Amino acid sequence: MGARRVLVVDDDPTLRETLGEVLTDDGFDVRVAWNGRDALEKLDGWNADVVILDVMMPVMDAFGFQSALDERPEPAPPVILLSAAPGLTSAASELGAVSVISKPFHLHDLIAEVRRVVDPMNGTAPAGA
Amino acid sequence: MAVTQIKPPERISASGKRTLADLAHGPEAIRLLVDAILDYAIFLIGPDGHVLTWNQGAERIKGYRASEVIGRHISIFYTQEDVEAGTPDRILRQAARGGRANDEGWRVRKDGTRFWADASVHALYDHGRLYGFAKITRDMTEAREAVERERQLAVEREARLAAEEALRSRDRFLAIASHELKTPVASLQVAVESLLLSRDQGTLDVPRTERGIERMDRAIKRLAMVLGELLDVSSLERGTTTFTFADMDVSRVASEVIERFAGVEAQDRIQADLQPAVIHADAMRVEQVVTNLVDNALKYSSSPAPVAVRVAPQAGGALIEVSDQGIGLGLDPASGLFEPFSRASNAADIPGIGLGLFITREIVERHGGRISGIAGPDRGTTFRVMLPQQPPRNSDGGS
Repeated sequence: MGARRVLVVDDDPTLRETLGEVLTDDGFDVRVAWNGRDALEKLDGWNADVVILDVMMPVMDAFGFQSALDERPEPAPPVILLSAAPGLTSAASELGAVSVISKPFHLHDLIAEVRRVVDPMNGTAPAGA
Repeated sequence: MAVTQIKPPERISASGKRTLADLAHGPEAIRLLVDAILDYAIFLIGPDGHVLTWNQGAERIKGYRASEVIGRHISIFYTQEDVEAGTPDRILRQAARGGRANDEGWRVRKDGTRFWADASVHALYDHGRLYGFAKITRDMTEAREAVERERQLAVEREARLAAEEALRSRDRFLAIASHELKTPVASLQVAVESLLLSRDQGTLDVPRTERGIERMDRAIKRLAMVLGELLDVSSLERGTTTFTFADMDVSRVASEVIERFAGVEAQDRIQADLQPAVIHADAMRVEQVVTNLVDNALKYSSSPAPVAVRVAPQAGGALIEVSDQGIGLGLDPASGLFEPFSRASNAADIPGIGLGLFITREIVERHGGRISGIAGPDRGTTFRVMLPQQPPRNSDGGS
């Protein structure tokens, strides 16, 4: 079994690059996308184990992304919402997200949450690390 | 002549000789009728303005008994200001000339209190000779006060709504400001914490450090930009931004903006069609408008889709047009796209447009110009700005 796959979707280049680097260091197979539409392309033929998703993005936001995702035949990956938007909890329940992390946040909290979601039984290190 | 407290003839019921029909046709009938009216002051005035008759309504409204008022000049019913302004005689002259005059305003009762009178004065002519006036007055104080109360309530209601809206606007401002600030703070925090993590893991080499520093630099610049925008919005909303107007060529400013963008990322994406268009405007602010529109177009359409920038002289001003071939904003430009905080405070409703477009609209409007956005459902967005040759006179703080 290969490394667990994480897709990071955020329109802020600094954030998605840093998260991509840190999660790669942590042993994940990481792709990054700058909006919902880009994310759908990145998921083509590459099923993520978890999607870290910003809410407000140009071109296609989290809601557009989620409804496009629901139309695909493959089971939708679990989503961790990552946003500075107010009302994040209601957005999360509408989107069916497994958890929410509000910006700004601590890196180790995010890493722990990603590990927990991809491997709920053993949340200490990702498979393949 | 005076109709003073006329009592019905006592014999009517006692003897039974006079019927109501007799009375109706008798000379006293009109006097009885007029005297019985309580809601209207109805009285006759001589050609020189002296009171000739008095009814119960007049006594009730004005407070004078017939004996106190008959023979006196009608100016006693008017306020001092009206008397000094010659209003009583003017009304009579008007009625004499036109047959009738309306006379509305504050009048004075015997006890000095005021009431709002709605009166008409009718000239009485006999074979071309003016022999007096009939005046009919109604006390409209209560009705007027009711209207005034209603008006006052409406004013208060409006003020309350405005205050509530200002409060909501402030809440939205705080929500958006907080969101706009949290985003770069999050980037900064993650950049710093990733360096600390690398240090703890013993993997902090030079390339990693350099990348970290660059990210922190970007995040801080973004933070500074957002702070600048928030101050701009605040200052524009309070109207304290000073504009400096001078003759400037919009195409020159646009060309400089495009050069700057071309240097960054959009080398081939911007298609410029710039014709000289000289207007009286604030060059720095026009530059901000073009920058915001181009930045927005580049952001909302993905590379390599082109962004077209057009500047052209127009009758009475200059046109700036920025179009992208992007997916569109998915928003109706007419409905609050330009409002900085026009959306409800929940994540689903706040468009990630930021404050740039709001600032743009404010600048355009302070120039006396107009901005419109045409957003197709799935193809492109065009923003069209018309700036007039001259800004409105009251547009800058100074002149």
